[in-house]
Amino acid sequence: MTWALRRATAADVPDIMAIEHASFPTDAWSEELMLAEVTGPNCEYFVAVAQDDFANPQAPIAGYAGLLVAGEQADLQTIAVREDLRGRGIGRLLAGHVLARAQQRGAREIFLEVRADNPVAEGLYTDLGFTRIAVRRNYYQPDGVDAHVMQRPLTEGSPTLVQTAGKAEPLVLGIETSCDETGVGIVRGSTLLANAVASSMDEHARFGGVVPEIAARAHVEAIESTIAKALGDAQVSLDDLDAIAVTAGPGLGGALMVGVAAAKALSIATGKPLYAVNHLAGHVAADIIADGALQLPAVALLVSGGHTSLLLVRDLAGDIELLGETIDDAAGEAFDKVARLLGLGYPGGPAIDRMADQGDPSAIRFPRGLSKGDDLRRHRYDFSFSGLKTAVARWVENRQAAGLEIPVADVAAGFREAVADVLTAKAIMACQDHGITRMLLAGGVAANARVRNLLAERCAAAGVDLVVPPLSLCTDNGAMIAALGARLVQAGNAPSGLDFGADSSLPVTTVQMP
Amino acid sequence: MILAMDTSGGTVVGWRDATSGRTAGYLSENPRGHAETIGPAIAQVLHEAEVTPQQISVVAVGMGPGPFTGLRIGIAAARAFALGRGVSVTALASHDAIALAWYLAGGEGELLVATDARRRERFWTRYSGLDADGLPVVVAGPALAPATELPAAAHAVVDEPISPDTLTELARRAVAAGRVGPAQPVYLRSPDVTLSPAKGVTG
Repeated sequence: MTWALRRATAADVPDIMAIEHASFPTDAWSEELMLAEVTGPNCEYFVAVAQDDFANPQAPIAGYAGLLVAGEQADLQTIAVREDLRGRGIGRLLAGHVLARAQQRGAREIFLEVRADNPVAEGLYTDLGFTRIAVRRNYYQPDGVDAHVMQRPLTEGSPTLVQTAGKAEPLVLGIETSCDETGVGIVRGSTLLANAVASSMDEHARFGGVVPEIAARAHVEAIESTIAKALGDAQVSLDDLDAIAVTAGPGLGGALMVGVAAAKALSIATGKPLYAVNHLAGHVAADIIADGALQLPAVALLVSGGHTSLLLVRDLAGDIELLGETIDDAAGEAFDKVARLLGLGYPGGPAIDRMADQGDPSAIRFPRGLSKGDDLRRHRYDFSFSGLKTAVARWVENRQAAGLEIPVADVAAGFREAVADVLTAKAIMACQDHGITRMLLAGGVAANARVRNLLAERCAAAGVDLVVPPLSLCTDNGAMIAALGARLVQAGNAPSGLDFGADSSLPVTTVQMP
Repeated sequence: MILAMDTSGGTVVGWRDATSGRTAGYLSENPRGHAETIGPAIAQVLHEAEVTPQQISVVAVGMGPGPFTGLRIGIAAARAFALGRGVSVTALASHDAIALAWYLAGGEGELLVATDARRRERFWTRYSGLDADGLPVVVAGPALAPATELPAAAHAVVDEPISPDTLTELARRAVAAGRVGPAQPVYLRSPDVTLSPAKGVTG
C-alpha cells in the first residue's frame, strides 16, 4: 500500500479524534481543541490516506501530524497513526513531511515533546535527527509522566517534502472559463507543457465589451476541443494526470459554471482529484511557470478587463492578502470605454496603445484617482478609474461643443499616462510600505507597453525585482490554473468536494474552495 | 451501460444497463444550482448503480430547449465526461423524454409538451406518437411562446419534470436506431445584449 499526504480539513476531525483517543487514552485532546488546531490560522495539519483513495475527500485516514511555525522556530505539535496500521512507515512519512514543510516556511529549528514512557516514538525521532535537550518533570497529567523535549536543526540534511506520496512534480490540467477565454493548460510541477486558448473576443467586438451570455455559450462549444488540444500539445493522456484544477471564481457567473461543470464531470470520469481554485491567485501562479519558482513574499499587481488588484502574497497555497482593488471600473474596462469614446475599436487596450504612441502624454493632464490627501489615506492601495473616464469624456465633449478638433492621439496618450501612473505609483508604495522587494505584474493589461515600461522604471529606482510573465500567461489562461493546482497538490491540500459552485465574487483570500 | 443527464429544467442524471435493464437515477426539480448539483448527482448515480465510470460506454445529454444558464451545465458536463471516457456524446431533445414517458404510459394521439422558459414564456414541442424505432415523432417545434398562448393540441403535458429512467430509455432507443438529436444546445433565445448608444456625460 502506498500512502499519500494531504492537508487536513475540518471534515477529517472525527477520524483524527478516533485515532487520538486510541493513541492517547488518558490525555487525548478535546474535539474542540483539535478542530481549532486543524482549522486555525497558526497550525498546519496533515493526514495520511491510501494513495488509491486520494481523490476521495471522505477516505478514512491512517494518521495525522500537526505543525506550528512561529518565526524561525517550529513545533511538531502531535503525531499519531491508527493502531492497526503502525509499523508501516506512516509515522515516518508524516514526520518527514512536517520537517520539510517547517523548513520551507522559514523555520530554522523544530521542537517536540515525547512521553518518557514511549521509547518507540523517541527512537523514531532520534532516527529523524532529533536530540533530547531537556526533561520536563510530570508533564503529562493525570499520569505524572515526564516529557522529553527534543530538538532538531533544520538547516542541513533535512528531508524533502513528501508531497502526495512522491508527487513532487504533479501533472495537472487546469481549466479556466471566467471571462471570454476558454483556457486549458497542463503543467508538470512548474514546467509548462500546454497552454491552449480559444477566445470568443471577436464575437464581443461589436458590442464594445464582453457579453456574458455570448462568452458562456462559446465556452460550451470550445471546452471539449480545448481540453483535447491541450492534451495533444502536452503529449499526455488523461490517465497520466495527477489532478485537475478549475477556476471557481471570481469572474462571470454563467461563464465560470461551464468550466466548473466540465471539470467535475471530467474528474468523476477519470477518477482524478479536483481542485477548485481562485482566478486571481491563478494569475499570481503564472509566475511559477514564468520563473521556474515563485519567490515570495511578493506584491502582485493584477490588471485586466475584469480586475484591478494589489495583492501581498506570502504563500500561494494559503496566505494572500488583498491590499486594495478598484472601487469602480477595472483598468481594462476603462481602456475599453475610452477607446469607444474616441472611436478606436475593441479591445480598447491595444487600440489606445497604438494611438497613444503618436501623441504627447503631457499635453493633457487627466486626474489620478485616489492619489491625494484624504483619498490616499483612506484608499491607499485602491484604484478608481470611473472619474478618469468621465474626465476624458467631458474634455472631449467640451472640445466638440466649442467646434474644435479632437487631438485623439494626445487624449489617448494623456489617458494612458494617468492609468499607468496611478497603477505603478500605488504598486511601488505597496512594496515600500511592506518592505517587499519583488513585484509580479499579471493580467491582460500587462500587454500595455507603457504600463510595463513605467513599472519597470519605477521598480528599478525602488530596488524592486519585477517579474512579467510572457503575455500568453498574463492574459486569462488555463496554464496558470494548472500551476496553482500543482502548487496546492505539492502543499498537500485535500481535493475540493464535488458540490462547490461558481462564485463570481470569490475573495482572493480563498485560494481553494473546500 | 448508459449514463444520461439533462439540466433543461432541474437536474436529472440516469444510468441504465441496456442488457439487464437495471437503472439508477437522480432527480432534483430545483431550477437553479445546476453547477453545484451536477457533480454529486453523477457520483451518486454511479454509486447507486455500483459501477465505475470505466463501465460507461454511452454518454447522453438533453440539448434542450431550456433556460440557457442551466441547460449548458448538463451539456458541458456530458461533453467532458464523454471526453474522459473516450466516447462521443449522444445528443437528445429534452422534450422527447417527456413525450416518451407519456406515450409509454399509454397515451395516444397528439401531444403538446411545454416546459418553463421563465419570463412568462414556455418552450413547446408537438408530437404525433412513436415511430418504428419507438422514438417520439415531432410535428411542430421546438419553439418559444408566451405561457398563455401555447398552441392547441388534443393532449398537453405542461411543466412535467424529466424522469431519469425515461431519459436513459430514450438514449437507449436513440443509440439502437443510430439516431441522434440536435448537435448544438437548443436555446431558442438570443443572448441578452443591448447595445448602449454612445451617450454624453455632460448633456
